[in-house]
Amino acid sequence: MNSEARRAAFAEGQPVSLRGVTKRYGNTHALRGLDLDLFPGEVLGIAGPNGAGKSTLMRILAGEEEADAGEIRYGDATYGRDFLARHVAVVHQEPQLFPNLTLAENLLVGREGTRWLRPRLSRRDSNLLADLDASHLANRLIADCSLAMKQRTEVGRALARDAGLFLFDEPNSALTADESSALFRQMHELAAAGHIVILVTHRFDDLVRHARRVVIVRDGQVAATLEGQELTEEAIARQLVHGLSASGFSRISTGPGQNRQAQPLLSIRSWSHGGSAFKEVDLDMARGEVIGLLGVEGSGAREFLRSLARVEKATGEIAFEGEDISSVEGAVAYVAPSRTDSLFRNFSVASNLLVRLGRPMIAGAAGSLKRRAMRDAAQQGIRRFMVKTPAPDAPITALSGGNQQKVAIAQAVMTRPKVLLLEEPTRGVDVGSKREIYTLLGDLAAAGGAVMFFSTEVLEVFEAATRVHVFTEGRLSSPLDVRRFDHVEELAAVVTRIEDHVAQEPVA
Amino acid sequence: MNTGKSVDVSASLAAPPRSVKGSLSAIVRAGGLLGAIIIVAIIFDLLNPAFLTIDIGISVLRSMCSVAILGLGLTLVIVSGEIDLSVGACYGLASNALAVMWIIGGLPIYLALLGTLIVGALVGLFNGLLTTWARIPSFIVTLGSYNLLYGLSLFITSATTFNPAYPPEGHTVAPGQLNFFVSLTQQLGAHQFSAEIFWMLGIAAVVGFALHGSLFGFRLYAVGGNATAARLARLPVDRLKTIAFIASGVLAAIAGILDFSFVQTTQPDIGLSQTFPVFAAVVIGGASLSGGKGSIIGTMGGAFLLAELQTGIAVLSPGPYAQQIFLGVVTIGAVGLDILASRIRTWRGK
Repeated sequence: MNSEARRAAFAEGQPVSLRGVTKRYGNTHALRGLDLDLFPGEVLGIAGPNGAGKSTLMRILAGEEEADAGEIRYGDATYGRDFLARHVAVVHQEPQLFPNLTLAENLLVGREGTRWLRPRLSRRDSNLLADLDASHLANRLIADCSLAMKQRTEVGRALARDAGLFLFDEPNSALTADESSALFRQMHELAAAGHIVILVTHRFDDLVRHARRVVIVRDGQVAATLEGQELTEEAIARQLVHGLSASGFSRISTGPGQNRQAQPLLSIRSWSHGGSAFKEVDLDMARGEVIGLLGVEGSGAREFLRSLARVEKATGEIAFEGEDISSVEGAVAYVAPSRTDSLFRNFSVASNLLVRLGRPMIAGAAGSLKRRAMRDAAQQGIRRFMVKTPAPDAPITALSGGNQQKVAIAQAVMTRPKVLLLEEPTRGVDVGSKREIYTLLGDLAAAGGAVMFFSTEVLEVFEAATRVHVFTEGRLSSPLDVRRFDHVEELAAVVTRIEDHVAQEPVA
Repeated sequence: MNTGKSVDVSASLAAPPRSVKGSLSAIVRAGGLLGAIIIVAIIFDLLNPAFLTIDIGISVLRSMCSVAILGLGLTLVIVSGEIDLSVGACYGLASNALAVMWIIGGLPIYLALLGTLIVGALVGLFNGLLTTWARIPSFIVTLGSYNLLYGLSLFITSATTFNPAYPPEGHTVAPGQLNFFVSLTQQLGAHQFSAEIFWMLGIAAVVGFALHGSLFGFRLYAVGGNATAARLARLPVDRLKTIAFIASGVLAAIAGILDFSFVQTTQPDIGLSQTFPVFAAVVIGGASLSGGKGSIIGTMGGAFLLAELQTGIAVLSPGPYAQQIFLGVVTIGAVGLDILASRIRTWRGK
């Protein structure tokens, strides 16, 4: 990259073209020759199932990673990674700011323009603060600002360094309705000022309302572009899952059987979240069921699952086989969404499998470890959960992401819970491991347990669940029997309709 | 010959590190330490042929005792992902509390010893509860208790020195009790083999079992490796950490008792200067200050290496500066070598 390009901002009014962008991680193709044109002045929506290459695309656009092949160009010039890192702004759900500095100082960091003296705001920076509606907060610590203000500061930081491309990555999942509309107003203003604006979100209504075009990324390529009349929530939902059910996975065939009148395994009544993410939820869970919870961020689905695992506070009645849940310690096991919260990097694969066990499984009366029992249990776990590891004693970090996830789930299942709760059970996992994980969940249910998981993917609940509930604004939908749907598109359409319906006329 | 002796000792210390986690790396680490111990012994012997004798070997073992016992407790705390800066001050408080309870207070030695162990346990409980329940970082808590305990030592002793053989006026110490107390660390055999060494080895075996052979130790590594995951796995994280702090306090008290018995004097600031050598021993032994890593055999090896250097330099007597300089170089060097070795491993693994 020459110094000319280093100084220049994005060329004004010219489209930016991605051509043949390819990225591989080991054996996985994250992007397979992706082509995409970005036009200044428009808000472009990007949607895609997890693992389709969406986040890789974002990272390459933001200059966080280098593509293996392909280029990002305008006219005759190509943009290098350094340029992108400087001129592309990413607005996350969790803004990357300096919490210990004030809002104004955050705008200045990195371009202080002074060698020795403490930097001061220029006229231009003051104007920027005024544009952001933040002049009165200039001297407030970022740590004390609201999320919406942090995001606005992040946009401001980008504007101050002449960014030309703004990537909004699930930006409004934790914002209130008012904050959200202010954010979208800002996005449209950025587009009107001639910048390129990209919106990535799972909220289809936002895509339909705010984007001029929506591209669907699937299998590392742009699979479809929706605009004009074609751009509807249902169309996006169908596109996201299109053709994916052909993964060859034989769907879960277990179910609650016919003994509906039997006592439910878990029975939840008037269950309300401590932070009001959901209210007054009633739900019964029978043996043999795999329940999938769907819902966008902020819908309460995630919080509901976490509250059952007692990771978040909630009140109400919860009974396990008719008894109060607190009296049956060990009946419920929970798997966190991120492997960094389940696995112990200082442990071997075997120790990671065994870490939740205690007396009498792996230790005797005096607390001494039973080496042989531990070895046997670990080997059994590795076999049962199909963990591909060079040896039981291999460090956990030597395993692939999919196999690490299997260990994380196995760790919880080894405690023999009656109810297994999983939050995004296959995040960042390859297709093969996904299939194996779904099989394991089905087996667990078939063996008389019950499984509940939260997912953001319709395909996941289609493949792994027997019953689906959709959360919208803290409320639970009536159950959908997954086995009634032959194609994931049909399920996706119904789920979208449920989410849409509530969004337009809130249930009283 | 004597090198052979030290090899046997460090190899038979405690239980071998059979911990399920990274036992290989612990062995490699212990092997590296053993190499360092042998090389240092050879260098000192070349410089001064009087070094490799049984008497000096035993003297090295004796002089490592208090650092080793303090280090064993500190290892538990560090494995759990916390830090205990107060071990040296706790050692001092224990030793002084014993003197005051026994010599001034007139308590029978047996009760005074029990009371001293309780003092150590209370110090650990104090550190543990402030860290886990009040959620104050253990670095701050134990930095505070370091000063607090030293202050207490000054207060209870009225800043004086005690020797049970020469009690202050108006106080007497029963000869039988004095004999018992001195016999805790009496010299045995032709080579003046102090009983303190047996105490150290026995304690190392017990702590080694607790860390490497018991459910407690297994979970302590888990807590230190990833406290969030340990909480989600419903391990009693706070209780495990508090137990580690209590063990550290009790072991510091034991070290204080044994050194008092051996030296027979105690002064208010005793033990404070032990703080950093203890950390050096534990870190040289392979423990990671970020938690989840460390072993009993490593800590014992680290303490031995430090004592060896100290004794060797004392024999050569180049001047008081040399010991401090060596302590610094060895601490940085040992950890630096370890990081280099692991980098080479990952580089070759690629």
